[in-house]
Amino acid sequence: MNKTIVMMVFAFTMHTHLPAQTISENQVKASVSRLDHATTIKDYQQLASDFEREAGTLKIQWLPYYYAAYCNAKTGWLNEEDPDNIEPFANKAEEQIRKAQSLLDTASQKKELSEIYCVLSMLNRARVFMNPSTYGPKYGPAASNFIRLALKLNPENPRALFLEGWEKYTTPKMWGGDKAKAKELLETARQKLNGESSSGVNPHWGRKDVDGILRD
Amino acid sequence: MKLFHLKYLLTAVVIFVCFTQSIAQTSIMGTVMNNKKQPVNNASIVIKETNVGVTADSSGRFRLIDTNKVNINLEISAMGYGSREIVLKPADSVMNLEIILKEEHQMLGEVVVEAGSFEASDKAKGATLTPMDAVTVAGNGGDIANALRFLPGSQQIGEKEGLFVRGGTGAETKQFVDGALLPNPNFVSVPGLPQPAHLNPFLFRGILFSSGGYSALYGDALSSALILQTVDLPDKSSASLHIFPTSQGAGFQEITKNDKGSYGADVSYGNQHLYNQVVPQQPDYFHGPEYFTADGNFRIRTGKTGILKFYTNYGFSNVGMQNPDIDSNNLISSFQTKGINMYSNLSYHGILDKHWKIDAVTAYGYNTQKIVTALLDSSKQQVIIADTPYNAKNSLTRINSNFAQARTVLTRTFAHRQALRFGAEYFLNNDNYQYNGVEFPLKDNQLAAFAETDIYLTQNIAAKAGIRYEYSSLLRRSNLAPRLSMAYKFYNGGQINLAYGIFYEKPEPVYLIQYDNPEFTKATHYIINYQKKANNRLLRIEAYYKKYDQLVTTAPVLGNHGVGYAKGIELFFRDKKTFKNFDYWITYTYLDTRRQFLNYPYELRPDFTTPHTASFVLKRFFQDINLSANLSYSLATGRPYYDIRANAEDKTFIYEKGITSMYNTMNLSFAYLFTMFKKRKGKDYSGIGFGVNNVLGTKQIFGYNFSYDGLNKVPITLPSARNYYIGLFMSFGIDRREDFINENL
Repeated sequence: MNKTIVMMVFAFTMHTHLPAQTISENQVKASVSRLDHATTIKDYQQLASDFEREAGTLKIQWLPYYYAAYCNAKTGWLNEEDPDNIEPFANKAEEQIRKAQSLLDTASQKKELSEIYCVLSMLNRARVFMNPSTYGPKYGPAASNFIRLALKLNPENPRALFLEGWEKYTTPKMWGGDKAKAKELLETARQKLNGESSSGVNPHWGRKDVDGILRD
Repeated sequence: MKLFHLKYLLTAVVIFVCFTQSIAQTSIMGTVMNNKKQPVNNASIVIKETNVGVTADSSGRFRLIDTNKVNINLEISAMGYGSREIVLKPADSVMNLEIILKEEHQMLGEVVVEAGSFEASDKAKGATLTPMDAVTVAGNGGDIANALRFLPGSQQIGEKEGLFVRGGTGAETKQFVDGALLPNPNFVSVPGLPQPAHLNPFLFRGILFSSGGYSALYGDALSSALILQTVDLPDKSSASLHIFPTSQGAGFQEITKNDKGSYGADVSYGNQHLYNQVVPQQPDYFHGPEYFTADGNFRIRTGKTGILKFYTNYGFSNVGMQNPDIDSNNLISSFQTKGINMYSNLSYHGILDKHWKIDAVTAYGYNTQKIVTALLDSSKQQVIIADTPYNAKNSLTRINSNFAQARTVLTRTFAHRQALRFGAEYFLNNDNYQYNGVEFPLKDNQLAAFAETDIYLTQNIAAKAGIRYEYSSLLRRSNLAPRLSMAYKFYNGGQINLAYGIFYEKPEPVYLIQYDNPEFTKATHYIINYQKKANNRLLRIEAYYKKYDQLVTTAPVLGNHGVGYAKGIELFFRDKKTFKNFDYWITYTYLDTRRQFLNYPYELRPDFTTPHTASFVLKRFFQDINLSANLSYSLATGRPYYDIRANAEDKTFIYEKGITSMYNTMNLSFAYLFTMFKKRKGKDYSGIGFGVNNVLGTKQIFGYNFSYDGLNKVPITLPSARNYYIGLFMSFGIDRREDFINENL
């Protein structure tokens, strides 16, 4: 009898989609590895929520906030075709990334700050998607400027290179778009991403995004 | 032992302990729901002061394993909802918790009352119209009211400026700029030829086109209100110029050094004489048409939230034309009008404290117009014939009008977006009408007071209730107009809106000067509307019923004896998704209306209405060649026309009537964008604009003019089959958008 209960509880624990319930650095690590396989809005929202909770507990660490913000900004991107459903995610992402930024020593943690600027760029870009003709003039330049800042701090940052490539690829020629230059940037980003460790908790997303455009 | 060894050891112990203990512990299970008992996705559940937490799945369910605490303090939160804490006592059941989260206002998809109105704002998302979408509709000729003719509710009236909405005349639609009335939006009228607008449509960042049931904050419009909001501080200093065969102009906007203000001015001059030499016109113009516009503005940011805006506009027009006289084969009838119009508007918007907002505006308008009509013989010499109808064909009319308005609106905001708005306004009209030397002065002081509340009953039910009081010293009458609208939002994003209201309008001056005991004209609106917005698409269906009372009747005697009704169904569908890079909208307007007014002998379908109107607007930007293309097409059934005559007792009857042919017109416009001086610091954005109105050259008949004896009828049609334009525009800007970015770092 007792054994049955134990088995049930055990099976039950296995069944829940979270491998561990105790919030620790290990859980952040587990969430990050789930992020590596995330594709849908649902995945990103689940992760945004997990990272936010982890951030709330591990208060002093920038990474959970960073990831929560990234997941919300990414949700904004994935909602490009549903523009009425972007603003809350972009706002949430901004709130979280500012917290992440405040936890950094911006004088020494240049590489980390560069990653933060990438998310800031993404969330401003998401705001452009709400309606490019009205929000574009305000948030578009902000999105590009954050890429510039990210590259200034870390010219090797593949995510910043990806974002710059994405922008060059999607912008009309008139406003500075250049598909050939975009491909170059994305190839460089791909090289840098291949040189990065694809595990661990440090930011390493981007491969799927780069491949997505280069396959076009 | 080295420190990190200790850490690993401890972690291992903790994991081990957790694992073993969890088997013996009970788990907490439950579902997170909203107050509609629908699951809340991705809610986060944490046991307070511990490291234990989970995220609920898509059906809102979660499972947690508790710690050894006696009382468990759970904190539940989710995006778009207020977070909540619950304390579980050991005795509580922890197997099937139901946790209800309250939706938070202002997060996801709040409800906004939208019956009767189309809003184009710079905050528009997805398929909602932006001011740019509205003003780039092909064939609008730079007049915002013309652009709005491609929205449901308005009639396709080709021979006159203004918005004819839901069975109403052009005079039953009023335009408001930053809260103040704009008495003369267009250059002075010319029979059969719509005149351009005074104000540049790019001046507005918010356009609210209400085709009925509008707010108690506005009045004196029986059918419709066009509520315009001017732009705030521009993003950058810039200079611009345009050169078209029929119009040339230049302007600038400068931001002050402290970034707290801006000022600017524009001038534009156009004379269509040259164009008319190339593209022959009917009538035969002997002057112009000639138009001149100058405007100036300043905008100052005061404090953290206030903005003071000033805008002034001067317009001059001179149009002289000759047509064959309708009553005689060998005579010519000549018409010339000159007009000067000035309009200034000073407005202030600011937040007084945490709960109070203020909107104040004053406006002043001056309008003078001279109309000379003459009867000419074939050698273009004036002839004077004493017999009817020729005796009325040599005339001189002068109109001088002064208009002033002052208005203040205070808003008190409460929690959960509830608000109360109230205010008052005062209008002064001092006009003088002169016909062949006989003067008709007209002076009126009008006072209005109004109050309106925004009520949010739940997250998805909103209401607006308002009341407006108006008094006119000329009419020596007052009225009280209630307004009510409600909205209910469904969980799928769809929304139902209802509106009701009573609307009053003073009779037009041309009748007022002849009246003994004028009354306000009156309309009652009932509107129901459904709209749904999702995935870059917008669908809107609206049905309405309107009842008219006290309409102006001119026969057999002048009075307010007119009545009537209008009812209809309107459809709007916009889709930016289905066809990649294409943005289009389709509208359909059904209108059933009859009224007895002016000289109508009984209730008739007015000659400015038609039962069926459909329009199609298509926009595309071709990225690779920097070309923006716009197409608009509209189709309408024929309009009724009447030859109404009076018998000896001044009773009117219909001598002849009919229906005009179908109306259909297609307009195309293109803008090719480029940069001429790439290397220059203040990069220019230039473009060539070109287009054709009535591309198909369809013969348009809007109605007929009848001769005095009723034997001759002349169609009212376009001055030429097609209308072409091509020109260059340039804008030099010093990009200051960086400031915004830097402020936000």
